[in-house]
Amino acid sequence: MSSTAAAAVRSVRRLTTWADPAALQRARLTVVPRPTRTAPRLPFVALISAVLLAGVIGLLMFNTSMQQAAFVESKLTTQAANLAARQQALQSELQNLNDPQVIAAKAQAHGMVIPGSPAVLHVPAGTISGVPAPASADDTPQLWPHHPKPAAVVPAGKPLVSPSDAVAIKLKKHHHHKHAAASAATQH
Amino acid sequence: MRTSVPPNQQRLGVRRGSPHTRLRIGFVVIAMLLSVFGARLVQLQGFDPNAYAQAAENENLHVQILPAQRGEILDRNGQPLADSADGLMITADPRVTRATAPALATLLATKLNLDYTTLLKRLTGTGGSPSFSYVARQVPAALATEAVDEAEAKGFKGLYTDDDPIREYPAGDVAANIVGFMGTDGPLAGLEKSLNGELAGKDGKETYEVGADGARIPLGPSTTKPPVNGTDIHTTIDRELQWYAQRVLRQADEKSDALNGMAIVEDVRTGEILAMADDPTFDASDPGASPKADRGVRSLSEVYEPGSVEKVLTLSALIDAGKVTPRTKLVVPGELHRQDRVIHDWWSHGTLRLTLAGVIANSSNIGTVLASDRFDDGQLHQYLEKFGLGQRTNVGLLGESPGILPSTAQWNHQIQDRVDFGQSVSVNALQMTAAVNTVANGGVRIDPSLILGQATTDSGQVVGTDEATSRRVVSQHAATAMMKMMERVPDPKTGTAPSTQIPGYRVAGKTGTAQRVNPACKCYDGSLTVSFAGFAPADNPRFTVYVVINDPRSGAAGGGVTAGPVWQKIMSFALRRYGVPPTNTKPSHVPTMWGKGNDPYGRP
Repeated sequence: MSSTAAAAVRSVRRLTTWADPAALQRARLTVVPRPTRTAPRLPFVALISAVLLAGVIGLLMFNTSMQQAAFVESKLTTQAANLAARQQALQSELQNLNDPQVIAAKAQAHGMVIPGSPAVLHVPAGTISGVPAPASADDTPQLWPHHPKPAAVVPAGKPLVSPSDAVAIKLKKHHHHKHAAASAATQH
Repeated sequence: MRTSVPPNQQRLGVRRGSPHTRLRIGFVVIAMLLSVFGARLVQLQGFDPNAYAQAAENENLHVQILPAQRGEILDRNGQPLADSADGLMITADPRVTRATAPALATLLATKLNLDYTTLLKRLTGTGGSPSFSYVARQVPAALATEAVDEAEAKGFKGLYTDDDPIREYPAGDVAANIVGFMGTDGPLAGLEKSLNGELAGKDGKETYEVGADGARIPLGPSTTKPPVNGTDIHTTIDRELQWYAQRVLRQADEKSDALNGMAIVEDVRTGEILAMADDPTFDASDPGASPKADRGVRSLSEVYEPGSVEKVLTLSALIDAGKVTPRTKLVVPGELHRQDRVIHDWWSHGTLRLTLAGVIANSSNIGTVLASDRFDDGQLHQYLEKFGLGQRTNVGLLGESPGILPSTAQWNHQIQDRVDFGQSVSVNALQMTAAVNTVANGGVRIDPSLILGQATTDSGQVVGTDEATSRRVVSQHAATAMMKMMERVPDPKTGTAPSTQIPGYRVAGKTGTAQRVNPACKCYDGSLTVSFAGFAPADNPRFTVYVVINDPRSGAAGGGVTAGPVWQKIMSFALRRYGVPPTNTKPSHVPTMWGKGNDPYGRP
């Protein structure tokens, strides 16, 4: 619109009466040149999407591996518990073998005895204190308790006799009488 | 020409209705909906937000108890007397197992070595809860998991396992009286019971989230409170010496057909108890097999009249009081009439001329009474209190009986006459050992202790070697004089206990043959308590040993004959085990008799 452009130039002329002509030259309005290049949008979008995707997948994988590790951990814990139980069982067995009673029984089975009289051998000097004596079985105590058998109770009165015995005794008496009678007869 | 009609009022649009109304109705509906939401929001967040949060968490929260390991009870060398092992209990749901009970019972009976009938009952749930029953308790963990795995492999369902720690007693009956045992719910006797607070520890707790299959969610919320394991208790007991003492004592009890017996070995200087044997006793891993009376500690709970062993205390007090010396000459009649009683000696004799040493060597009651007449009023009572009679030793076991020392109010001359030779006063075995040990320790009584270091009992008492106090009862001179007299007892020429000699060593001791009170009639029924207390090597004692045998019924019974050999064996074993060398000094030669015609180093 020429009228407005002319008005603008007139107003600029008025404003720049005190400025230098170079500025005036610069102030002349011209058309802005068209830009030849714009930043490509696609790579940026692709980068952001890739970062997002990587983050999500990474998190998922991390989570999955942790869960996996949890399963492995529980399996190994069970294994550790089993091994600990076995170790305890073996330790128990070992302690049983260390029981003084068990050792004494095995030693006795070998014919060993506990010695009696203490004596001390002073090795550098080669002297003996005390009165050593050959070990005998006297100082070895009984390893097991003796439980006395309960005494049999004998009923007072006639001893029990079974029917067949009774018959046998009767027959014997009968023969005895006959024999006695016979011998008496012969004696007279 | 038609006039223009405003669009709102065209006739064709009458059926669509007014938009204003529609808007208003819409707004009202939305407002109602939003207020419902608002109210619900206030209800959820404002009134009780935690309950819902908790309910959500509890959906998959799993609480696991982390059991504390019970402390071990060890002997002085670290050998275990009681220790814990991981155990499991096997429980069953009878609703599931009832169908296959017989086959399952057979499998478990063979695998776990249990009774088939009981297992059958538990698996069918007879006589118990229909949904839960204990199949086996305290099974070693390895065995239990094997059994349950095998059952599941064979297709049996309904068995579960749970933690059930086992207490093991590797030494069986050795020191069982001291250690005690556990019942199903807690300890029932011994150190297991009195030191339960120290041994038990505190269970911990772990809470974490589990997924649907029971596996733990690693990133879920979890809290752990770690368990505090119980403290181990180190006793002063020597396991081997305790074993030997128990076996020798048992053999002697059986041979003499005795009611019971006790044997105690104490370290002279430190007061540590190396062995405290009772007979009969029980097996800690099977306490039910023994009668209840045998499951305690007789050495502390059984009181008896000590008899002549008490003369050691009477006469050392007399010497300390300056009234006599070992060479004091006494004229001892055959019987002594005092108030309403006649006092006799164990053997009948005429008038004898014994020195004080002879009174000890021959164990003359009359001689002791005559010498003790020189006490001031109440002096003996004071000495006996200082020796520890009538007071608990407080070693940390429950059920100790303090014995009876007649009080000052009850003390009169008649009582004193009898207390002089150990009747009318009752003691427990450990009390008497500590009292005789005072003489062995140069006149200083040291508290006996059962625990190395210190431990606090459930009743708040602190016990142990750290807490042992000592006090002087008689002077060193009096103790040495007493030792010299006691050396005459094992001497075959002068004393009543030749069986207690240990070749090469100086030993000092005293026999005791006391009348025993029958608890049924509370009278002397003719039964005896025979004992022997002594220490070796006499001039530098290392151990004090005290052996008591109650009511030996067969054979000729006496302190020297019945208890003496037991003492000698235990002392020899102890001296040899600890490598105590003989002192290689000449034994004392205190005369036992005086006057013309008497061999001063002989017996009447």
